[in-house]
Amino acid sequence: MADSGAPIWQEDERSLTVASGRTSPQGKRPGQKGASESSAGLVPAPVAGVASLVVPGLGHVLTRQIGRGVLLFGSLLTIVGLAAWRIHDLARLEVGVVAVLRKALRRQPVFVGFVLLGIVALWLWVAWDAYRRARLDRRQGGVGVFFLILVVFFVLGWQIGEIDLYKAVTELPDAWPPLSRVLWPWDAAVRRETAEVAAGAKIGVPCDENPPALPEEVPGEPYVVAEPTCGQLSKLDEENNVVPGSRLTLTGRGFTPDTETQIWWKDPIGNEFRQRQEGEYVSLQTDEEGAFQIDIIMPYRLIPPSAAGLQIWTVRARQISEVGGLKPSEPLVLSIERMVETIVLGMMATIFGIIFSIPVSFLAARNLMSGSRFTMVIYYVTRTFLNIVRSIEPMIWAIIAVIVVGLGPFAGIVALTVHSIAALGKLYSEAIESIDPGPIEAIQATGATRLQTIMYAVVPQMIPPFVSFSIYRWDINVRMSTVIGLVGGGGIGFLLVQYIRLLDYRSAGIAVWFIAFTVAILDYVSSEIRQRFV
Amino acid sequence: MLEIKNLTKIYDDGTVALRDVSFRVEDGEFLIIIGLSGSGKSTLLRCINRLIEPTEGQIIWDDADITTAEPAQLRRIRRQIGMIFQQFNLVKRSTVLTNVLSGRLGYVNPGPSLLHRFSKQDRALAAEALERMDITDQAHKRADELSGGQQQRVGIARALMQQPRIILADEPVASLDPVLAHSILEHLEQLNQEDDITILCSLHYLDLVQRYASRVIGLRGGQMVYRGTREEIRRMTDEQFKEIYGAEAERVGGSLEGTLGG
Repeated sequence: MADSGAPIWQEDERSLTVASGRTSPQGKRPGQKGASESSAGLVPAPVAGVASLVVPGLGHVLTRQIGRGVLLFGSLLTIVGLAAWRIHDLARLEVGVVAVLRKALRRQPVFVGFVLLGIVALWLWVAWDAYRRARLDRRQGGVGVFFLILVVFFVLGWQIGEIDLYKAVTELPDAWPPLSRVLWPWDAAVRRETAEVAAGAKIGVPCDENPPALPEEVPGEPYVVAEPTCGQLSKLDEENNVVPGSRLTLTGRGFTPDTETQIWWKDPIGNEFRQRQEGEYVSLQTDEEGAFQIDIIMPYRLIPPSAAGLQIWTVRARQISEVGGLKPSEPLVLSIERMVETIVLGMMATIFGIIFSIPVSFLAARNLMSGSRFTMVIYYVTRTFLNIVRSIEPMIWAIIAVIVVGLGPFAGIVALTVHSIAALGKLYSEAIESIDPGPIEAIQATGATRLQTIMYAVVPQMIPPFVSFSIYRWDINVRMSTVIGLVGGGGIGFLLVQYIRLLDYRSAGIAVWFIAFTVAILDYVSSEIRQRFV
Repeated sequence: MLEIKNLTKIYDDGTVALRDVSFRVEDGEFLIIIGLSGSGKSTLLRCINRLIEPTEGQIIWDDADITTAEPAQLRRIRRQIGMIFQQFNLVKRSTVLTNVLSGRLGYVNPGPSLLHRFSKQDRALAAEALERMDITDQAHKRADELSGGQQQRVGIARALMQQPRIILADEPVASLDPVLAHSILEHLEQLNQEDDITILCSLHYLDLVQRYASRVIGLRGGQMVYRGTREEIRRMTDEQFKEIYGAEAERVGGSLEGTLGG
């Protein structure tokens, strides 16, 4: 220490005498360390520098810059800790410091290199900072070291947060289809009633001496005949090659003209499936008289071995047409219903919150409770309670409420009420604390009773903040209730999370639009009303 | 006749605001209390209607002791004592009319008053008080829309509604400019002379004291250090002045036009 310190120390003294007479003579003799000067440190500057090199910040503490020393030590310790964690994380399977460092450097050379260099630079800088500030005895400057700390934290944060801007840009095209459905979901907002025109023919499998008869033709009704009325299904042979089944000719009459028609099968146990030909669904157009003719190959279907003997299949031609006017779709109707539920939920929570928070706010108002020691205890207990309840998010309260009262809007009301009581209780109590005592005094002086004094001097002062806070809270509650549905607290959030999990992005989009509409309108209305009252 | 006997007020934190103050106020007097800020003027006035509870002493008004009055009795006493304030103490968001009517609260039936209902007579009385203070035009404005001088006149109108026998005025003109100060004190003088209302008023400006007082008392550090009539205050010596305002205080010019305190 002494060897390395000596030359710097002499230079130090020279610069001291040149700089100004007002600098304290600290560091002249190690033995004479600042006994009389209040600003002088316990050690000379070089020693402080070396001390900070050994333990970052120690030099600062020794030269009575305790706050700065502790801050630098804490920062460096945190940085080293975070860096060690992330580097170890990159090379989880390696054993030994060198192996870990090598693996980590190979995987993310920029990050690891920067952080290691940053730590070394910081360490040296802290030591130099300790020396410089001890020597100059000017407790200012040295913002650079904190800037470097910030930069290192930023780099660590980038890596810990797994920030990947490249991914955000390159994966946008893949995300576009579902995203576009959310952004413009209104195709799914309406639907039409559908009507089915269908007719079928029975097909016997396999063919025997009595194939099923042709259906009777009723004039005016759709009618399908198959030729023949029996055949073999497609099969797989030993090499898993498809052996095509029998070819049937379907002829239809009496269908809606010029309309798309689908061919469906119904197997003996009642399952329906659509006819495919070369992988595509079979779809045909009827002619202008409502007739068609098509050849199909009987489909492949796994048949249980027990189903030996004759089976009756049905082949059907179906036309699905839209009739009547546009109707709101189910997602639209549900979204409106849940949105109303959400607004009501927020409103009920606000009303309950107001009712319960008024008495609580009196207990939490310092000016009302400063009468005696007992009331002050109540004040502190209430305040602490309110702070704790308020610091727990409504989302968490909703999870608890769902456990207690079950899924549904009531759980949401309970959760938001609890949080509203705490938030409004605090705001109201601050409004009570800030009322002007002058009018109270004046009304008392007229010989008014206590109740009259409250009505004439306290209430007029309370109304504006009261109305303003209550409406603001309603605004918050409706906004929160959309989120509270995510954990089962009822309202539109519940619907939204269901649609998202079903990957029904159009319906989810409708819900999102409703939430956005409502919140925007409510925001505007609430700020308008509040402006009038303040 | 109002008689203050050995009045002492010690606050909870140990501050002695008044120490053994005794004096008499005859009916119809315009008594002005002078003294520095913190000399106990406000405390003295508030002890008289017991907005502040005195620690010791008696306040006798027409043979009744205000200091021992029961709540109901105290309210009956208070309603005969009007009070006006430096900061006016109006309910800012209420209308001028509501502020004036609230002066009647000590007389009316409590039930209807809570719903802001007042009798015809009370409304007539309010109209008269507004007329007298020349603020009839402002009756339906919010109190905080008025200027300082107008607000203080609302304060006086409110006190008038009590049909008081005494008005306590706690530095009523300290927030106003000199012209308005004269106007407000002229109103008080008028009430004193025409309606025979006793006025107890604390003031800072000695020129106003000379102009309006019928009698003056001086407080310093909670003790009474001066008493005199209007004539005597003109002849106040430097010693008496320093007795009230402290050794460092200086009188401006030969007369008593200096402004003091603050």
